[in-house]
Amino acid sequence: MKKQRPIKEGLFEIRAEGPRLVGSRCRECGEVTFPANPFCPQCCRETTETIQLSGRGALYSFTIQRFKPPPPFRGSEPFAPYGVGMIELPEGVRVTSALEESDPERLRVGMEMELLITKFFEDDEGIDVLSFKFKPAAAPAQLADSVAQ
Amino acid sequence: MREVYVIGVGLHPFGRFGEKDVIEIGREAVVAALADAGIAWRKIEAAYCGTVFAGPMAGNKALARVGLTGLPIMNLENACASGGSALRLAYQDVASGFRDVALAFGFEKMPRGFIAGNPNDWFAAMGLAVNPQYFALNARWHMANYGVTEDHLVKVSVKNHRNGALNPFAMYRKVMSYDEIASSPMVNDPLRLLMLCAPNEGGAAVILASEEIARQCATKLIRLAAVVLKSPLYGTAEVPYISVSARVEAPSVTRTAAEEAYAAAGVGPGDLDLVELQDTDSAAEIIYSEELGLCERGDGARLLDEGATEINGRIPINASGGLLSKGEPLGASALGQVAEIVWQLRGEAGARQVGDARVGMTHVYGALGNCAVSILQC
Repeated sequence: MKKQRPIKEGLFEIRAEGPRLVGSRCRECGEVTFPANPFCPQCCRETTETIQLSGRGALYSFTIQRFKPPPPFRGSEPFAPYGVGMIELPEGVRVTSALEESDPERLRVGMEMELLITKFFEDDEGIDVLSFKFKPAAAPAQLADSVAQ
Repeated sequence: MREVYVIGVGLHPFGRFGEKDVIEIGREAVVAALADAGIAWRKIEAAYCGTVFAGPMAGNKALARVGLTGLPIMNLENACASGGSALRLAYQDVASGFRDVALAFGFEKMPRGFIAGNPNDWFAAMGLAVNPQYFALNARWHMANYGVTEDHLVKVSVKNHRNGALNPFAMYRKVMSYDEIASSPMVNDPLRLLMLCAPNEGGAAVILASEEIARQCATKLIRLAAVVLKSPLYGTAEVPYISVSARVEAPSVTRTAAEEAYAAAGVGPGDLDLVELQDTDSAAEIIYSEELGLCERGDGARLLDEGATEINGRIPINASGGLLSKGEPLGASALGQVAEIVWQLRGEAGARQVGDARVGMTHVYGALGNCAVSILQC
């Protein structure tokens, strides 16, 4: 199998139950941040523990990136527009992510999304660099309504 | 604390100026402000220079061409709030009685195109560090929740370009039709190219002084009643954000900066006669009109629909043309807003003059939520 590496260590894990982003939760105030961070920005102290975040969440807002971003953007050539969204996860955190869907007509605020890990680009040594994305989830869920309101 | 007055303002036009040296752009703004104040360069006791792209010691380089008087010069970078930060420091000098006359200035010659991300950031490599994405995410959320439509986004840009056509210091100085804006290329849905401001070149300078000095100047007395610089609280979404709390909703930095400025100046939103605010995109003007307290949350689009934000409206917003028409030379932007308010309060704004203007506000918002708000009164 071809060699693979994540775009950055510690952002995500591929578990038996599916891919998961790795964040942290403050043991004092309960606030969750992504990526994992020893420091709680609300308590201003090193009070966090590492947690796995849910693989599903609700689309809080979205846009389509229609031009190639300036450096240090990587990504497959030729450039193709991609979705960008904020996904609200049940742990109480909204995460900014690329979206697999790039047609705005197929996206709506509040819809359920699920995480996937995909090849983002091939690096100079021929290694596949993996990153995370969200895509519209197969089945609707109740979570969708809480964000739309 | 003493009262602080603006005795002189000067601009180098905002736009693109070919091979022109960025240091010369800064020098011209300072010289224009000195001429406006009618004050000798030797009387300036300290200078604060805000710039992001002009390089190390840019302020010293510009002022070396005005004259070597030995004054302390501070160079600072604070993204879109760089000029506002310089103004705050000059204000502190005069308000505290530490100095009687201080200069705040800023200038830029920005790279073309969208601002690049930090080369070490994984999310920039992933294509998630482009500013208009975040403007668009804010815009889409506002549209989904408060009835802002694409029509509103077009109308903000039409208004600001119409105003900017009357401003000799603006970059575009051109009326743009509804159709031209509505059919310009989509950049980050729902934001189109002509709904976004352009990074560009320009310079601005503001000279502050004590009341005693100000009364010796020929220009009308304009008081800098407040200038506030704030960074955000936990629980707010600031450009660019990787993650934001969904449980804690703190007041935005624009809201907290405005509240502090209102309190310091002893005025409220109802006392304002005009506002220059950070319209980096059309939706931002609507959102910030709410966060500055000009209307209730969710009512920004209605304020626009009612015509209240026009030059002859109840609360004119961006009579100068705003960033949409002027462009945004980061270090000069906030001070350019101050110059516009000063001209308006003096009655020197020409074809874009707001009637009977006595109190005005400026607002800039930059990367990671750096925000500067000022209130000027005559």
